Amino acid sequence: MSNRIAIQTNNLHKDFGEVYAVRGVNIEIQSGEIFSLLGPNGAGKTTVISMISGLLKPNQGDATILGHSITHEPLAAKAALGVVPQEIAIYEDLSARENLMFWGKMYGLRGAHLKQRVAEILETIGLADRQKGRVEKFSGGMKRRLNIGIALLHEPEVVIMDEPTVGIDPQSRRKILDSVMELNKQGMTVFYTTHYMEEAQELSDHIAIMDHGEIIASGTHAELVKIVGELDRIELNINTESDRVMETWKNTPGVEKITAENGQLHLLVNDSNLVLPQLFEKAAQVGSRITSVEIQEPNLETVFLHLTGRALRD
Amino acid sequence: MRILNLALNDLLQIIRDWKSFLFLLIMPVIFTLVFGFAFGGFDTGDEEVDPRLPVGFVDQDQEQISPVLFALLKKSDAIRPVTFEEDTTLEELERIVAEDELAAMIIVPDGYSESLPTDQKLKLIIIQKEATSAGATVQNGVQAAVNRLTNSISAAQFSTMIQAQFNPFGSQTDQDAYFDGSLENAVASWDAPPFTLISTQTGAEEERAEQPNAFSHSSPGMMVQFAIAGLIGAAGILVIERKSGSLQRLLTTAISRTEILIGHFLAMFLMVLIQFTILIGFAAIFLDVGYFDAPLATILVTLTTALFVASMGMLIGTLAKSEEQVIMYSLIPMFILSGLGGAWVPLEFTSPTFRTVGHFTPVAWAMDGFQNIVMRGMGLESVLMPAAILLGFTAACFGLAVWRFEYE
Ligand SMILES: Nc1ncnc2c1ncn2[C@@H]1O[C@H](COP(=O)(O)OP(=O)(O)OP(=O)(O)O)[C@@H](O)[C@H]1O
Ligand SMILES: [Mg+2]
Repeated sequence: MSNRIAIQTNNLHKDFGEVYAVRGVNIEIQSGEIFSLLGPNGAGKTTVISMISGLLKPNQGDATILGHSITHEPLAAKAALGVVPQEIAIYEDLSARENLMFWGKMYGLRGAHLKQRVAEILETIGLADRQKGRVEKFSGGMKRRLNIGIALLHEPEVVIMDEPTVGIDPQSRRKILDSVMELNKQGMTVFYTTHYMEEAQELSDHIAIMDHGEIIASGTHAELVKIVGELDRIELNINTESDRVMETWKNTPGVEKITAENGQLHLLVNDSNLVLPQLFEKAAQVGSRITSVEIQEPNLETVFLHLTGRALRD
Repeated sequence: MRILNLALNDLLQIIRDWKSFLFLLIMPVIFTLVFGFAFGGFDTGDEEVDPRLPVGFVDQDQEQISPVLFALLKKSDAIRPVTFEEDTTLEELERIVAEDELAAMIIVPDGYSESLPTDQKLKLIIIQKEATSAGATVQNGVQAAVNRLTNSISAAQFSTMIQAQFNPFGSQTDQDAYFDGSLENAVASWDAPPFTLISTQTGAEEERAEQPNAFSHSSPGMMVQFAIAGLIGAAGILVIERKSGSLQRLLTTAISRTEILIGHFLAMFLMVLIQFTILIGFAAIFLDVGYFDAPLATILVTLTTALFVASMGMLIGTLAKSEEQVIMYSLIPMFILSGLGGAWVPLEFTSPTFRTVGHFTPVAWAMDGFQNIVMRGMGLESVLMPAAILLGFTAACFGLAVWRFEYE
């Protein structure tokens, strides 16, 4: 298993008329790893996944799954692949068990083996005691878990999960992250997309950061963080409107990037010990006061800010 | 196999929805009964649907008895007399029967009236083909009328005789007039003879079973109408499947787009077929609708109509973008097609223009097919054309649906 390439994309391009959703994406995912694709809303993550799973035809380029080209040998490629879509693609009128039975059959499972797999998956996703309940009545987290379980029925070697934790409570999210790591331990390759940098950081062996249809950086977490070098990240709040303050801070020596999000200001600076006193001073000059300051270790958020000048979450 | 799994999954979802039963079974049964009772009378006295055998009636006697006989024949359940001129030649009369223009000829010979009160009664002459079931029917009908006639004459004679005993007639004319009056009364009393009440009622029952009743129209009409209404659930499954991403997910398995379409089509077809089977069985068994009179014809019309309705469901499912649109796209065509297609009021009762316009709708052809069987008592050949046209509509709708689905 090791040292094989699970997923490889080769210069993938996709446009929807005027919108260039994906422009030249090259990624390589090794067998047995968790690979995260991190990017803000609209970056093109789902479009990449749709092309890899054969739902969208690339305008240019190709992708292979365990060596099978999705355009030339779609059935072999699909057989090795489990896809957890971003939407909750399940039948609300049916029970959890009926959903699993149906999807299992669609993945080609039969008879005793099918029943056994359904029972195993119900255990894995923690829905064994609710298997007879109609999905309609399930919580968001339960539906998400079922959504994931369906993709695992046919024991695919490679699983693609498209933002599987969107819109659920922290507890369910925790459960999902734990089971992803558990599956990976059992040997499954996971291609994971998210716009939560914490998830990418916690789960992944490798991470690619995507923005505007392009991969802007990739590597291990440590490698990515190195991109920002010695930069510090400062998060602070002020007691007035941010516009004038940002204007004066922009020209301060040592300030690399500055953005505002929900009234909070994010700065990327060379050395916070030197820069901070100046920030206090300049704020006072335009009649503002800093009410809280937090100096943080560089993280993926910092990397994204550094590379794009924008915050990862909008 | 995947196609079948998909179809069964659709059917499971349809069964899970109580509204399916309401639309597919409960409503059509209720409306069949309501419309049936409401229009209960529309086929009585209608010459077009008179099932009695037409027979010629030639009066060479031209006396007072033959009109009475004619009146009695007219009341027959089995035959319907049609008057011919007395001087029509025998050859001509024989030709008419030989060429099946009429089932038989009844000739009242000259002197018939005179002979009846006597012991040397003349016999009616009947021209008919030998050893046919129509011939037997005519003989029974004529025999019944003649029996009534001779019985009535005896009664009138008897009555005239009694009257003469107690109160002698002033003249022969008075006596003849009295006899005529008594005969009239005697004949009239056959309409409701107290002593044969049971046998006539039984006859009437049997007759009704063979004749189309009011449910014969409302049953196919409501069945087809509510099959279209029932598409709301089935077509909704396609829309939800697209919107929830299940379609995308299906496409990540080994099933192809074409197979998905066929699977859904199969589900809709089976749904409508099951609905039709239940409703046809119900109407045939409990409402005496003659679906079983021509089983092959019924099967053919049922299958082709179900195919058409299913193809329409596919079109609705691929056109609609939301569940609200599914309801709109199902109910509006349902009203238009049912109204124009004669599911509510039979097209025979509408103007020729309306009838022509109506036949641009597939529902009119489905109705034609079913009514040829249950109203007109026709067989397989009579439904071939409606079935072929329904298949044409099916191909058109399904083709459009495929085009929409691939284009998505
Ligand atoms: N079917 C489509 N038709 C037109 N534009 C599309 C279509 N699908 C995606 N897009 C556009 O392509 C771009 C990338 O979309 P995509 O869904 O891949 O982003 P994403 O990274 O998955 O975002 P999110 O985190 O919101 O899921 C967006 O601008 C989107 O509006
Ligand atoms: Mg997405």
